[in-house]
Amino acid sequence: MKILFVDDERDVEDLFRQKFRKEIKSGHLELAFAFSGQEALDLLNSEDPPKFVYVFSDINMPGMSGLELLEEIKSRFPAIQVSMISAYGDQENYDKAMSSGAKGFFTKPVDFEKLKLEIAALTSGK
Amino acid sequence: MILINLISLSLLYYLKKSSGAQEFPERLHRYFKYGMIAAGVLIALGISNAPPEILFELLSFVLVGAVIYLMLNTPELVYLKTLAITPLPIVGVKLLEYLVRTISPAIFEIVENYLDAAGVFAFIWAVTMWLNHRKQMKEIEIERIITKEQERQLRQTEEQKSQLELLVAERTSEILSQKEELQHALDHLRATQEQLIQQEKLASLGQLTAGIAHEIKNPLNFVNNFSELSADFLHEISEEMPKIPDSPEKENILDLLENIKSNLAKIRHHGSRADSIVRSMLMHSRGGTGTMDPTDLNALIREYSNLAFHGMRANPNPINVDIQLSLDENLPKIKLNSEDFSRVILNLVKNAFDAMREKLSAKNPEYKAKVEIRTRDLGDKVLIEVEDNGPGVPDQIRDKLLMPFFTTKKGTEGTGLGLSITHDIIKSHEGTLEIKSEEGKFTCFSILLPKSTE
Repeated sequence: MKILFVDDERDVEDLFRQKFRKEIKSGHLELAFAFSGQEALDLLNSEDPPKFVYVFSDINMPGMSGLELLEEIKSRFPAIQVSMISAYGDQENYDKAMSSGAKGFFTKPVDFEKLKLEIAALTSGK
Repeated sequence: MILINLISLSLLYYLKKSSGAQEFPERLHRYFKYGMIAAGVLIALGISNAPPEILFELLSFVLVGAVIYLMLNTPELVYLKTLAITPLPIVGVKLLEYLVRTISPAIFEIVENYLDAAGVFAFIWAVTMWLNHRKQMKEIEIERIITKEQERQLRQTEEQKSQLELLVAERTSEILSQKEELQHALDHLRATQEQLIQQEKLASLGQLTAGIAHEIKNPLNFVNNFSELSADFLHEISEEMPKIPDSPEKENILDLLENIKSNLAKIRHHGSRADSIVRSMLMHSRGGTGTMDPTDLNALIREYSNLAFHGMRANPNPINVDIQLSLDENLPKIKLNSEDFSRVILNLVKNAFDAMREKLSAKNPEYKAKVEIRTRDLGDKVLIEVEDNGPGVPDQIRDKLLMPFFTTKKGTEGTGLGLSITHDIIKSHEGTLEIKSEEGKFTCFSILLPKSTE
């Protein structure tokens, strides 16, 4: 199962790869990383249909914001689930994300247990 | 001779009459009376031609002379000098006539014509002098009236002056009290202005800290996450280690890994410390979210003081403390942002615990820690008091207590934001926070909240 993380912080990749080390090793999970909204879209567009089933995106990014990316993905690939991860856990962002079709809303610092549960639910649902 | 006595009489009469305006001494009045009687007698004798005529004539001259002398030599009558010398030439001529006729009637016949002429001149003189005197008297009278008028005006002026002075004094005291009021208002204004400036500074500082907090939060998350991850890996490594055969190198590696583990724990500890500061800062600068709903304040206090107590007991360094609630059960529901206001109760109670822990560690066996929380309905306001019998707050830092980042707690224990946030929340409820304290005895935080009008 392929999951894409979008964040402008490059260390996110190391962090998530290490956090999901076991799942990756066992082959349950395949992670990909993009460091801007555009890069994420390019990656999704490179395969047809994309194999990604879930996108986690930061909201505050230079260039395309996470919310814009959310709308973009939802209009092009409605099958892909999208959740937001943001340091700004305010009501406005939450409402906007939810009304644009986000599945979930995680606040930073990320609670990895919750994130793992979310992903596990996805795997078992499949 | 009747003329001389008439002169005496009229002079005396004039004097007596003019004594109405000017007060003459009693002595003079007596003189006037006797003089007039004498003149009357002499006139009567003159008319009756009773002998000895010469003696009476002489007495007449003596009388008129005495009168004139009196007028010229009495200080009270000096102003009548002109009047006194008016009849003088007539008297003189008559005296000369009398003397000549008495001594030598022959010579009298020769000089009679001259004497008559002198008499005429003397009469003219007398008339002139009389007129002159009248004029003088009028002038004196006018002067007297003017003086009197001036005196009257002076008195009036004086009266007005004292009245004005009274008014001025009144006004002055009014102005003084107004000045005092104004001074007071000015002081108040200055204090308010200072507060405003302070608030303005704090507001901009708040925005700045919010920005900084957000910026710090991300790298801090990495620090915390990576240290946590590394700790997990170390745990895995230590699970793998027994599978490797023992050797001195392995010993060394295990030793180093132990060190890394403790270092990571330290990184984690300080990272979470920084994280709690950042979170407090964000909470501090966050604008009022949440709604104000009618809330059972007593229930909120019960719940959160209990929570604070159990939180304290679950954390390192728990203390034994007696919590007494004396809550006004008739308290109506107060409009509160209960999420925010619960922080106020939590913070104040936690603060009290921390303060009393300090006093407990001073090893006083008599001391029993106690926190009392009171609520009271004050009509248009509600009073909430949190009082502890801890070490108290020294006067010199009482003002600083509510400032952000001010803390008395040692090392890593406090962020210095608790009371500052508390104060902000109370202010956002349009309430006030007051601190009463006596060093070594107690600290009491009093919150006054307005009752909602709806």
